Amino acid sequence: MASDTLTLATRAQIEAIAPTEPRWLLDRRIAALEESASLQLPMSKQTKIGEAAFVQADAPKLPQVTFEGAPQGVILMDLDQAVREHADLLQPYLLQVAERQNLLHAQHAALTKGGFFCYVPKDQELTEPVRATFHFPKDGYYTPHVLLVAGERSRCDLIVELVGVDGGAPAINGGVEVVVSDGAQVQYIEFQRLPGKAQGHWSRRAAVGRDGKLTWILNDVGARLQVADTRTELRGDGSDSRVFATFFGGRRQHFDFRHIAVHVGQHTTSDTEARGVLQGKARAVYNANTIIRPHATGTSGWQHEHTLMLSETARADLVPELEIDEWDVKAGHAASAGPVDPMQLYFMMARGISEIEARRLIVFGFLSSLLDSIPLESVREQIAQIFHEKVEA
Amino acid sequence: MARPVLDIRGFRVGIEGREIVKGLDLTVRGGEVHAIMGPNGTGKSTFASALMGHPAYEVLSGTVTLDGRDVLEMAVDERARAGLFLAMQYPAEISGVSNANFLRTALNARREENDPVPVLKFHKELKEKMAGLSIDPTFAERYVNEGFSGGEKKRNEILQMAVLQPRIAILDEIDSGLDIDAVKVVAQGVNDMLSENFGVLIITHYQRILNYIHPTNVHVMMQGRIVRSSGPELAEQLEARGYDWLRQELGIEEPLPQEA
Ligand SMILES: Nc1ncnc2c1ncn2[C@@H]1O[C@H](COP(=O)(O)OP(=O)(O)OP(=O)(O)O)[C@@H](O)[C@H]1O
Ligand SMILES: [Mg+2]
Repeated sequence: MASDTLTLATRAQIEAIAPTEPRWLLDRRIAALEESASLQLPMSKQTKIGEAAFVQADAPKLPQVTFEGAPQGVILMDLDQAVREHADLLQPYLLQVAERQNLLHAQHAALTKGGFFCYVPKDQELTEPVRATFHFPKDGYYTPHVLLVAGERSRCDLIVELVGVDGGAPAINGGVEVVVSDGAQVQYIEFQRLPGKAQGHWSRRAAVGRDGKLTWILNDVGARLQVADTRTELRGDGSDSRVFATFFGGRRQHFDFRHIAVHVGQHTTSDTEARGVLQGKARAVYNANTIIRPHATGTSGWQHEHTLMLSETARADLVPELEIDEWDVKAGHAASAGPVDPMQLYFMMARGISEIEARRLIVFGFLSSLLDSIPLESVREQIAQIFHEKVEA
Repeated sequence: MARPVLDIRGFRVGIEGREIVKGLDLTVRGGEVHAIMGPNGTGKSTFASALMGHPAYEVLSGTVTLDGRDVLEMAVDERARAGLFLAMQYPAEISGVSNANFLRTALNARREENDPVPVLKFHKELKEKMAGLSIDPTFAERYVNEGFSGGEKKRNEILQMAVLQPRIAILDEIDSGLDIDAVKVVAQGVNDMLSENFGVLIITHYQRILNYIHPTNVHVMMQGRIVRSSGPELAEQLEARGYDWLRQELGIEEPLPQEA
């Protein structure tokens, strides 16, 4: 991965994106640009990230975002508008939630364009999910950013959809930041249904305060190549994070996902549940890492990753990791990848169910324990439906 | 619909290059109850599985028709939709899929896509059928066969038959592992279905179930062939005397010792 062949972001590009931006934001972009000189592309043995369309820092275009369901008191608007109108609310967090670890993070921060800001004031409890949908045009390079700030003791479910147009091939280097203040409860739900030629890198960063709770519900079925990393820092004592990740790849789709839970506070808990289905020549790399920092006593971190292979030509690499610097913890992982049991298929077909329906039922059964853990019925149904439609004969 | 006829001629089946079923002829019609008995390892399950289209078995030659239609040309699911049912000796478990969901999918597979069975009606009928087979109502929402006892799996096979209403059913050792009451319940389930429109082939080692489901024909299978066919009295003879007298009569050699 020779970074000398890469087109790196430049100061001129930054100035072209943000001629009217406030000074503090411009400074952050330039700081990120300076960091990029010493950062590498993310390491992956199985994914040729250096060849991906999203590593080339082109002039970013603006994706359209549509919104739905923000009640009184909640701010939900385009990021640039929020920068103009609510700088006081964004400034403590925007591009600051967690440190940048690789060149793509830095490049995203330097060149970010578009996206949205969602702010839930303290003590406000939303009863219905808030929705935002990104519409990516046919081609071009995009660097959208999502910032969700949930005030103290607030409650909010945000559903983000990433969609494109038929035959579209956008290259995306996006970023998500989630701030869960003390006592807040957030569910961040994402449906990635990008078209078959899209290539995306999507980096999610979250900081959870004392007794805060963050649930990531992530569903990936689109894109030719999708690389995503999700890092949750459990900073406050008693904070909790869950990941319910589902993915379904077919044809020659390639997924490379990484989930990292960093336990900093005491009595923090994290639990990652992933279920993936692969068919055709799809390939998935799935890393989960639980990092337990010194003094994070009384913590527990668990990972469960299972992949169902519908074809012999699909491939999954599951890499669970634990990094523990503290004795008083409970942590563990379970990972498996296995084919469909031909005896199950035979049994179902012997009852008159067609092979494709039988596969759908097996896929549904494989997902069911994860789906049962998701508290939002509409989200459960949407995931089940998306998987149903994805099964090929 | 006319009375069903399953017609099997010169059926030979192999597995991994070894011939197991070596030329078998049998006709089962609606209203008939056939029993096949025979020592362990003679190919009864192989025969039944190959009829259903189990992927591990290779049909070497012969013809099988159901109501005149070529069964061997059909995929497994088509055979089932044509009216063939096999209650398996070892049915699969399907994690995460409830019995009710499974059965509703199987019923809908027999119907037009735009005419699925009404959900409430389905659940009502399922409940009735389960009650008839003394199956606890909670089994509707249990995952298919997962964690079921041996006897519960067998009852579940009969439940599937009762719901799907096949034309010809093959029951492979449906009585194995059943307690005395359960044998009666399962037999009742089969008897309730018996009519001109339904024929059944029971593979069993024991006379016991035949006390409740009265066979019209009893066959003995040895070394991959039907070696004797007769009326219900043959089952009683076998129960009382075992197979050796028949082997001697037919001049069949002792089988090699079998693994357990
Ligand atoms: N899937 C298989 N793989 C290998 N051998 C098999 C397989 N199925 C059957 N056989 C062999 O074929 C022969 C017949 O087996 P089958 O199960 O048909 O006998 P059976 O008459 O049903 O016996 P039982 O009364 O014990 O149920 C046995 O020798 C068995 O080991
Ligand atoms: Mg058998």
